[in-house]
Amino acid sequence: MDVEAKRIMALSISKLYSLRTQRGGLRLHRSLLLSMTMRAARDIYHTAQQLRDAEEEQVVPCAPEEPMEITKDSPQTPNEVEMKPQEPKDTLVEDKENLCATERHSRKRRGKTALEPDFLPLKKARMDTDEEKQHLQSEVLRTNNGNSCRQAETLTAFTTNRAIGAC
Amino acid sequence: MDGDGDGQSRWCLSQVKGAVDDDVAEADIISAVEFNHSGELLATGDRGGRIVIFQQEQESKNLPQCHAEYNVYSTFQSHEPEFDYLKSLEIEEKINKIRWLPQKNAAHFLLSTNDKTIKLWKISERDKRPEGYNLKEEDGRYRHPSSLTTLRVPVFQPMDLMVEASPRRVYANAHTYHINSISVNSDNETYLSADDLRVNLWHLDFTDRSFNIVDIKPANMEELTEVITASEFHPLQCNTFVYGSSKGSVRLCDMRASALCDQHSKLFEEPEDPSTRSFFSEIISSISDVKFSHSGRYMMTRDYLTLKIWDLHMESRPVEIYQVHGYLRSKLCSLYENDCIFDKFECCWGGDDSEVMTGSYNNFFRMFDRDAQRDATLEASWESGSPGLPLKTWRVCAGSRRKRNEIGVDCLDFSRKILYTSWHPQDNIVALATVNNLYIFQEKLN
Repeated sequence: MDVEAKRIMALSISKLYSLRTQRGGLRLHRSLLLSMTMRAARDIYHTAQQLRDAEEEQVVPCAPEEPMEITKDSPQTPNEVEMKPQEPKDTLVEDKENLCATERHSRKRRGKTALEPDFLPLKKARMDTDEEKQHLQSEVLRTNNGNSCRQAETLTAFTTNRAIGAC
Repeated sequence: MDGDGDGQSRWCLSQVKGAVDDDVAEADIISAVEFNHSGELLATGDRGGRIVIFQQEQESKNLPQCHAEYNVYSTFQSHEPEFDYLKSLEIEEKINKIRWLPQKNAAHFLLSTNDKTIKLWKISERDKRPEGYNLKEEDGRYRHPSSLTTLRVPVFQPMDLMVEASPRRVYANAHTYHINSISVNSDNETYLSADDLRVNLWHLDFTDRSFNIVDIKPANMEELTEVITASEFHPLQCNTFVYGSSKGSVRLCDMRASALCDQHSKLFEEPEDPSTRSFFSEIISSISDVKFSHSGRYMMTRDYLTLKIWDLHMESRPVEIYQVHGYLRSKLCSLYENDCIFDKFECCWGGDDSEVMTGSYNNFFRMFDRDAQRDATLEASWESGSPGLPLKTWRVCAGSRRKRNEIGVDCLDFSRKILYTSWHPQDNIVALATVNNLYIFQEKLN
């Protein structure tokens, strides 16, 4: 069950990622459904992981590995997940486990952003056009606290879009 | 419960429009099909932003066994691709919906919409032109003043029929999200347009303003759980409209109750069956289309696997549920992988509300006879037999096929799907779109 859950989770993430490049702008309905499915799969997976981890030793979280995952192409992301099931995902899970409840719900959900790259819709579709600029700005702010290479990625993506607009 | 006893339906293929190439250009993919209120005109929209209107020929006395054919009447470019520079977003020219206005004079009017802009088009005929101007030759060149010796009144002379389409109104900049529905009110003055989070009310004459009548956008977008997927005005009561949601519920609103209809008057929702819960329950319960019956007494909703008929007087559950392709329930994971689970199928009522119809995969479409409680699976294909011959009904089986006109679930072609359908308002003629072809089926008359 959790194997299928993980597969659906990875599938959902890659679909959410490819939505960004689709013509016509982000589809709110589609992103919402994908996010919900991904969350349901993630919850099942985490529940299964929790049960399993109760019997295993703790794994030391290794945060620096996470950005490397994000900079890879989207087709590789699910493969990555499939091929190395025990490594980054486990650490991310651990990271999430260690977060207290309030922190988990705060906007600076670092555990979650590691699981889902910054430039993907986090939970539900947040691509509100009024707030998009604020959202991007806040992403930039967040990556200031985190990893510098992620910040560069976000800014580059933002700038490129603007450049196209100017033409 | 598939098909008639003898495997034949009373429907036959009448016409097929469009190219037969295997290589289909994206722009040619049909994205909207709609009969007008008399059934004389049939409009299709495609992903390239074009609209093609077909007109039914005058009834032929020589062929009493079938209705007259539809031929091309007008073709025009309705929407062009646009770029929103502020948001760095491309706006697709794909036609999402076409709705005809009831005819008031010789001209025909329709509303067409893409993701962001609605347009009112006037389609009119010109079969005469004025000739005999004093100052100009017939080709437009000005005559030399010295050659003007007489004065005459220009007269109208017959000319070859020309059908002109001109945009009369452009209703723009009212939707932040993607428009999924438009619906003309029975008052023939107003219409609604709906996007993912809002429903707006327009007056046909005014393009610079619209009234927001439903707004489900949460203060914090992170709390978004539901979007609007379809919306329609009641066919008779000009104050009533419905909108369907991604959670499988339909809300009926009365515009007399308040200016902003966020509080629904009725909520049509069927409790979920916990035994069928899966990862994909949310997706398959999303309403893809909602249509009132012609009588206004019933409403039909389409979700991924079923058609539901609701009595407007009963909110707790539908009065009829039809399985469109229940054999797909065990294939949801694969359908999620290939994105087919997100397909939005339309549905339509027959003229007298006794039958309903919707599309499926493998170019199948499903006909449900509500009175006789019978259904049929028919196929839209070039090989559907010669025009005039009744279609054979199909059956989809779980394993491999055993009989003719049976097909295994695993053999279905999910790239061939019928999303868009329309039923003639009076006669039993249906028009449906496969990827790039328009099929017209008629009931066999005897």
